[in-house]
Amino acid sequence: MNAAPAGKGLGPLLLIAPAAVLIGLFLVLPYLNIVVMSFRMPGQGTPYAPGFTFGNYGKFFADSFYILQVVNTLWIGFLTTFLCLVLGYPVAWQLARGNSAFRAVGYGLVLSPLLVGIVIRSYGWTILLGNNGIINRTLSNWGIIDAPLPLMYNALGIVIALVHVFLPFMILPIMSAIQGIDPSLESAARSLGASKVTSFRRITLPLSLPGIQAGCILVFVLSLSAYVTPSLIGGLRVKTMAVTVVDALIDTFQWPFGSALALMLSITGAVVVVAFGRLTVMKWKV
Amino acid sequence: MSKPFLTLYCLIIYAFLLAPIAVVVIASFNSGAFLTFPPQGFSFRWYVVFFNNEVFMRAIRTSLWIAAVTMVISGIIGTMAAMFHVQYAGRLKEAVRVAMLAPLLLPEVLTAIALLFFVYSVGIGTQTMFGMIVGHVLITLPFVFINVSASMESYDPSWSMAAQSLGAGRFTRFRRIMLPLIKPGVIGGCLFAFIISFDIFTISFMLKGVGMSTLPIQLFDYLRTNFTPEAAAVSTCSIVLTMAVVIISEKVLGLRIHRF
Amino acid sequence: MTEVSIEKLTKDYGQGPAVNAISIKIAEGEFISLLGPSGCGKTTTLKMIAGFEDATEGAIRFDGSDVVRVPVEKRDIGMVFQNYALFPHMTVEKNLAFGLEMRKVSRAQIREKIAKVLDMVQLAGYAERYPRQLSGGQQQRVALARALVIEPKILLLDEPLANLDAKLREEMRVFIRDLQRRVGITTVYVTHDQAEAMTMSDRVVVMFGGRIAQIGTPSDIYERPASLEVAEFVGQVNIIRGKVNGGIVATAFGDVPVSGNLAEGTELMLALRPEAVELLPAGSGAGVFAKVLSSYYSGSLVDYRLELENGARVNVQAFPRTRFADGERVLVHAPAERFWPLGATA
Repeated sequence: MNAAPAGKGLGPLLLIAPAAVLIGLFLVLPYLNIVVMSFRMPGQGTPYAPGFTFGNYGKFFADSFYILQVVNTLWIGFLTTFLCLVLGYPVAWQLARGNSAFRAVGYGLVLSPLLVGIVIRSYGWTILLGNNGIINRTLSNWGIIDAPLPLMYNALGIVIALVHVFLPFMILPIMSAIQGIDPSLESAARSLGASKVTSFRRITLPLSLPGIQAGCILVFVLSLSAYVTPSLIGGLRVKTMAVTVVDALIDTFQWPFGSALALMLSITGAVVVVAFGRLTVMKWKV
Repeated sequence: MSKPFLTLYCLIIYAFLLAPIAVVVIASFNSGAFLTFPPQGFSFRWYVVFFNNEVFMRAIRTSLWIAAVTMVISGIIGTMAAMFHVQYAGRLKEAVRVAMLAPLLLPEVLTAIALLFFVYSVGIGTQTMFGMIVGHVLITLPFVFINVSASMESYDPSWSMAAQSLGAGRFTRFRRIMLPLIKPGVIGGCLFAFIISFDIFTISFMLKGVGMSTLPIQLFDYLRTNFTPEAAAVSTCSIVLTMAVVIISEKVLGLRIHRF
Repeated sequence: MTEVSIEKLTKDYGQGPAVNAISIKIAEGEFISLLGPSGCGKTTTLKMIAGFEDATEGAIRFDGSDVVRVPVEKRDIGMVFQNYALFPHMTVEKNLAFGLEMRKVSRAQIREKIAKVLDMVQLAGYAERYPRQLSGGQQQRVALARALVIEPKILLLDEPLANLDAKLREEMRVFIRDLQRRVGITTVYVTHDQAEAMTMSDRVVVMFGGRIAQIGTPSDIYERPASLEVAEFVGQVNIIRGKVNGGIVATAFGDVPVSGNLAEGTELMLALRPEAVELLPAGSGAGVFAKVLSSYYSGSLVDYRLELENGARVNVQAFPRTRFADGERVLVHAPAERFWPLGATA
């Protein structure tokens, strides 16, 4: 019996109306507005001036500084995603297949960082990695180093902190993908003579690919658009594109140019995501 | 990987996940201005500094107020949307789900930029909290939606039909039958919306007006120029507050909050 | 007590009618079953009577007044759902009180009525239990009590026994039937199980493809089916073909007289139920010879597959008093009145 009570009249539509208005008016429309904004004339003393131009994009392509910054941001994104995958997969496997007592605790441990604000987590890394941070001061107190190691204000520090911030977003989709794999498939592979490693490589790993894909896309997109972590850890020395965009909007009020930068970053990110999706396309149907 | 090795590996990753948070908490109780290992001594001095700092106290009040307003609006809109999604969406079910999760899937920076332009172009600007609250509602809406939808999925529509056959009108059916049965999802979703709203940074940062700094903004501003453990004391209080909400909801109310 | 009249009731979801202009008159206190395979429109019909589905066309009258525009909650029906739909957050007592509260019945009366109905369904003492603390059969009886306690005009049951195991199902058939007789309430019962429909109903409505194939008493439906489809749906049947010749059809079992104005030479299908055929040891009397191909023993009965001398195969059901071995030659005999003409073959 498909017992959904027949929707009578407009009643049910009233349920979705507030959400539809909210998302339509305050999400879809504003996003479209970014595109329009990127073609507006830059203003003097105002965020933008009347009229339209391609000049904002021209400015982006004319200056290798911005292109280099996009490349830099992509590189940080790739590295973060790769490290999250490598570090997170075994944990996801353990959470999906390990013994249950450990699993509940582990699940809580993976989730709890998400409940702590991003500013605080990034701050934690500055305490750890800073020139006066725990690692450097402890090492110099012990006489192991003379000058502080450059752990912060560079791409390395940003990647370390980003991996920390986004690791749960890699672990959780992979975990649920592995949970969705019937364990008897691995048993079947073993019964057919496959070693533990082979059955993992030939059965579990390929079947968990959808989770890997989802996790990688999520982490990559989040890394490209991260603002707080790069801005606190990178300081003024290393800037990612998202930081430059926000600064262009907040500090210098260059709305049209900032929009063009944001769109260029989004387009590049989208191209990478689509290409990645194509490359890892599943050849079987689950 | 052998079992003990895998377990050890996982423990290291968990330590990595918790390290920066633990460090913040430890630093807040450290008597010195810089945290070293081992810590220099136990002290509440940074908490005293923090509690006497009116700027931070005002930011906490602002954050709590915004989180409460956000929770109520998001809770109502999200619950209604989840009811529609599970009961009436039909073939549009997947489309509704994607649309409702969109604020979660889209980069927060872009959403913040989009909203900033929008509130200015329609003349609202950032003089009021309107833009900021809309942003918070957008970001928290998916969490309410996910939690209520999960409860709704185990809600059997024939319960409503039975109530109707017994003479209950639309409102009575909702109040007497559906609401009590989906209550865990609604409360869980609302509490989660509160926590998320309390921690939102980018949206607040871009849409804040003069004198509307939330706690994360105030902390961020402070950290750009200062490194004293006062920030750690502020952070620890914020962490404790969040954890208290989670522990109360999961242990006392027995809720299982769906985060994804 | 209420008389229900369904007139040219039609439901169209936009892909052709799911229920196609059906008309049924249900007498006061009558127990009617809607029987048919899944997708035949029986559940849709029930939902239209209840008000959960809007009728595309047609009328549903309770005691003469059309209720098509009346919303479910105002229709004064009692409904038992396939999965019982007991409110999980309410005790048995609260579940039973719900409909009475909607009717603004006083507290004292509610208590009284609940006690009475719990007695009736033999669940006195279960008032404080939650639905999950009850067995399937008990939940079923609570659902029944909840529908009856409001003293509705009409009782609607949607495959209420489908989720019970076989033994309990047979008990509940008798229980529901007896209860319905005692209360005397007009009842519409939806099922795809022909045995259920036959044992419980005063009349059975057989439906195929949104249309009524036959309305009749259980014995009408079984012994005098209106079509081959009906005959096959309500039980096993042998189809014997033959030509009309002078009011008689010659079959392998002998001549069968047929009534009605049938043209000479018409090819007829005759229905013959397996238990209508008598099976005798060879050489013991009148009949035609047949060979036992196989037999299946099921305790109270034995099913035989037989081959007649003309090569036709028939299924026969007999008591296991006398057993025949596979390959044995036997005599079969079927009285002429047990053949039922189904109409001309296409």
